[in-house]
Amino acid sequence: MRVSVGAAATVLAGVVAVGIAGTAFARSSASPPLLKATVNGTAQTPQGTLPHAFLQLDTWPDSLAGPHGKDGGPHPDWVSYGPSTNLAVPAHSLVTVTIRQYDTGEEITNPFFAAVHGTVDGTMTVDGATVRSADPEHIGHTFTVHGLASNKDPLFVSVPLPAVADDAPVRADGYPAPHVVTFSFVTGGPADYVWQCEFPCGDGTYAKFGGPMSEQTYMSGTLTVTAQA
Amino acid sequence: MSLTEARPADAEPPGEPSTSRPAWRRAPIFPILLIWIVLTALLVAFALVVPARLMGAAASPTMREIETTFTSFSLAAAPVAALVWAILLYSLVAWRYRGGGRPTDPGPPVRGNNRVQVVWVVVSTALCLFLLIWGLIVIQPSTSEASSTQAPLVVDVTGQQWVWNFEYPAAPGAQSDELYLPVNQRVLFRVTSKDVVHSFWITQMGVKVDANPGATTTISVTPDRLGTFDIRCAELCGLYHSYMQTHVHVVRAEEFRSWLATAASQAPTGEVPSPSPSGTATS
Amino acid sequence: MSATTVETPDTSPAAPTPEMGGFIRRLNAVTGVVLGLVLAVVAWQVSSRLLPQPEELSHNHHDDAVMIITFSVWAIGFLIGIGAFVGPVRWLLGRDLTEADEEFLAGKDQGVARYFRFTTDHKVVGIQYLVLTMVLFGVGGLLAMLIRTNLIRPGSPFLNPTEYNAIVGLHGIIMIIATIVMVTGPFGNFIVPIMIGARDMAFPRLNALSFWLLFSAVPVLLAAFPLGGIATGWSAYAPLSDQSPLGMDAFLVTIVIFAVSSGVAGANMTTTVVRMRARGMSWTRTPIFVFGTTTSVALGLVAFPMFMVAMILLAMDRGLGATFYVASGGGSPWLYANLFWLMGHPEVYVILLPAFAALLEITPVFTRKPLFSFTAAVVGIAGIVGLSLFVWAHHMYVAGWAPALNGPFMVTTEMISVPTGLLILVLLGTLWRGVVWTRLPVLAVYFVLWNFIIGGVTGIYLSDVPVDQAEHGSMFVTAHFHYTLMGGALTATMGAVAFWFPKMTARMLDERVGKIGFWTAQIGFNITFLGMFAVGLAGQPRRVADPSSTFAAGNLVSSLGAYVIGIGMLIFLYAIVHSWRNGEPAPGNPWGGKTLEWQVPTPVPLENFAVPPVVTSDFYSYGEPPETPAPESVSVPRPADAAAPGERPLEGSAS
Repeated sequence: MRVSVGAAATVLAGVVAVGIAGTAFARSSASPPLLKATVNGTAQTPQGTLPHAFLQLDTWPDSLAGPHGKDGGPHPDWVSYGPSTNLAVPAHSLVTVTIRQYDTGEEITNPFFAAVHGTVDGTMTVDGATVRSADPEHIGHTFTVHGLASNKDPLFVSVPLPAVADDAPVRADGYPAPHVVTFSFVTGGPADYVWQCEFPCGDGTYAKFGGPMSEQTYMSGTLTVTAQA
Repeated sequence: MSLTEARPADAEPPGEPSTSRPAWRRAPIFPILLIWIVLTALLVAFALVVPARLMGAAASPTMREIETTFTSFSLAAAPVAALVWAILLYSLVAWRYRGGGRPTDPGPPVRGNNRVQVVWVVVSTALCLFLLIWGLIVIQPSTSEASSTQAPLVVDVTGQQWVWNFEYPAAPGAQSDELYLPVNQRVLFRVTSKDVVHSFWITQMGVKVDANPGATTTISVTPDRLGTFDIRCAELCGLYHSYMQTHVHVVRAEEFRSWLATAASQAPTGEVPSPSPSGTATS
Repeated sequence: MSATTVETPDTSPAAPTPEMGGFIRRLNAVTGVVLGLVLAVVAWQVSSRLLPQPEELSHNHHDDAVMIITFSVWAIGFLIGIGAFVGPVRWLLGRDLTEADEEFLAGKDQGVARYFRFTTDHKVVGIQYLVLTMVLFGVGGLLAMLIRTNLIRPGSPFLNPTEYNAIVGLHGIIMIIATIVMVTGPFGNFIVPIMIGARDMAFPRLNALSFWLLFSAVPVLLAAFPLGGIATGWSAYAPLSDQSPLGMDAFLVTIVIFAVSSGVAGANMTTTVVRMRARGMSWTRTPIFVFGTTTSVALGLVAFPMFMVAMILLAMDRGLGATFYVASGGGSPWLYANLFWLMGHPEVYVILLPAFAALLEITPVFTRKPLFSFTAAVVGIAGIVGLSLFVWAHHMYVAGWAPALNGPFMVTTEMISVPTGLLILVLLGTLWRGVVWTRLPVLAVYFVLWNFIIGGVTGIYLSDVPVDQAEHGSMFVTAHFHYTLMGGALTATMGAVAFWFPKMTARMLDERVGKIGFWTAQIGFNITFLGMFAVGLAGQPRRVADPSSTFAAGNLVSSLGAYVIGIGMLIFLYAIVHSWRNGEPAPGNPWGGKTLEWQVPTPVPLENFAVPPVVTSDFYSYGEPPETPAPESVSVPRPADAAAPGERPLEGSAS
């Protein structure tokens, strides 16, 4: 009797330990607030008339303006996307994304990501001009959506974000004037995807894919396609 | 089966009439033989059905060969596993000490049996040789590949954390994030990586080769089934390793040709488009 | 008195012993931790200020170098603080340890306190290893539960990928370290010296050093958590390891410390077994468990330096900006892969050999039969040891490193099934017509044979190049090596714990509770990893944080099975803890075993044997007629008749 109580207590203690550890980890990996695309009217697309959703993002050379709070969180000097990296867009819609790109850059390692992929017409607009690619020598970041291979409507969207010139004048808010990149893509059914930057903009570790590139909420995040339009 | 004939003759338990029945008809040989046959049959049935079904329908001769190999090895292993498990089961039931406390009577003091050991070594070596010869024959690049005379379609595969992309040197400029292949034509993949080690894996085609930075590895396959299959990364490569996946579409040759032409025509020209990258810091 | 390393015929008459002893008597694990922490903080401050400050791109090298220095200084400071270097320092000062000091170091009359000191008694070291191993299994198991919880259903991981990768890596390396030491640590230290009739290890201070080195590595490894974890899996493939956060530095320092620890332990145990066997214990009379542990640690002497070198090169890449593994700098990821697997494949046999040897030792006792063909067992072990050094590149069939070598490595890999088969034959032959006394230790034999057949057969698939091309890097591989390392080696170790528990703790293990835990864990184990085979065949890669929904069913089964393992292991743990504190006192020889450790009293006296034993036959003569001089021909005078004259000391008994 005493033995079975002891054994049960040991198992219970194990469950509690796993629970505490799990909660601690889950809490420390909590996602930033969900940024939902706003739906406004409908749009004509090759797939017919679809709801039209809009999403606005920024890329910053540091973490002071993103989802990490005023002081920039644990790594204020890391490049980051903002205002959130946890994105939601409606299913079966045309999604138009506008990204204000405040960061400088250099040559991209993989020219594939200097071209636009997966958007409507395969184009994007940079500061109003429609293009199919950006200069591979001067890329700041990319916005690249991809996901699981099975049981999903495939979604692959990749746009390069041209770099701001190194000597661009700094405005009052501490940043140079951004490039404004706009592109649209059409979503399928509800699914989970991830997105990331494909320009090696992490810190000085190998291949510059460390630091902000290898931790969610900086240069990568999730894109959820939700059912309600 | 080797063990079954190998009992020390002098270890016959007393009281059991030494009848005219041959040794294999008596305990413990006979019951173990029965258990062995039953287990072997079960394992053979399992080996014939389950693994190949789990691996899914093959989409290339390579994968078909792999599934055949897997099944053959399972069939070869079935009697061995069954023998071990049969002896275990039988001993647990028949030779179990049922008294309380420590057993006082010792078991038969058998220190080895040359015949058993020799048979065991010979059989296991023979099985091992069978597997070896089979494996060495299968890895010869003979069967489907070398016999085809036409030049393979070359595809350059680039892994970069955490996306695959593909280029088709046959049509300069053609590139894609999902792989397109013509059916029944040999494809040669030239695989490399921009950063860390990835592993290029087309699940249903049995194709896998690492993508190494600073080196190009090659592997070839002849897809022979139309459809859409999975490409995954099989080497932990960082944050989004689990999302480093895409599709391969195997299509008819003419469809492939038209897709390739379209892809090449959509290629970014390479020249710098309108907004000059520097000096446009006005808004 | 005990077989000490530095045999000094008492010199330095100047030293007033009690006072000199006074200092070392105040050192223990707490002073070690304090000194280690103090020195680490100092080293951190100093190095982060003095090391050249970052150019923009190289500032990681600065941080990495600071981390590596800090962790290394912690380990050294800890060892100084616990008194690991008292002996050599006193010797250098010309005031060597007195006999009273040596006895103090051996933990004489110190009760529980000796487990927290730099104690040289091999029995204390064995218990220390046992407890540390169980703690490591606890942490690794907890991480396994988190991993399985994350995979329980697709699409909603509760860990983000960074944390998932960190947890997978830590689970891997913690379990690998724990399984490497789980037999040779506790039983190799506690049992083997008694088994061969020695009074202690050849180098008792190195013995303590090997344990406390390992101990000092544990906090370093756990420090990887807050530093970003080990995002690479425990294989730490370069160049991903060049890219990983600072947790990687904790990992590589851990591995270097561990390699030194296992090197020290291996040299010690090999020397002990070769030089210090009792009189009359020729190699053919040496128990098979001794063969298993010795070959294991000797193999470790070859294997782990490879890993250490790989990690030192990584430290130079990360801390100094070298490019050993960076292709653009002339390095190669294949260099790392080769070094790693040169360690990695011998290493699995480092784990398996002593575990199997424990089963070979257990089976004759619980079937009351001689070992079926001692020769075959030794040949099997030797064959595995020999071949295991030439199979490493079967982990690199698809790496593209040297496709022409795939054939030869396939040959060596598949050949290893022949000596392994011999060991299985010996176990089966020993069970054959035995009086199978189904206590917990022998149940382990049954479960290991069941599990290991599955692990071995799936290993043969993977050794085949074409099949590996489909299964490499998939969950099939994960399931395979869990079947060999957990279903085989860990299960065998649970049997070994049950077997030697009465001797080590002087208590009987509560087998009722222990068996419940054992059965539960085994059933859960088979559910978990058969499910994992299924998702592997279906194409799920290893180490994915968020597997595709295609694999949902198999992953659910695996996760539920993993919880069953967890429950079973906790019940087994309770049986151990409860019995250790409240169990029935154990007699000297509860199983009627013939090996020497069962002939000494329980608890085992400080110097094991009052008078060194003389061996006149081997230890497996169950049921043999007395004229082959059998059971009690092993003359082990009890301490009661300690006055018995005549037997020589241990040295010279081996040859």
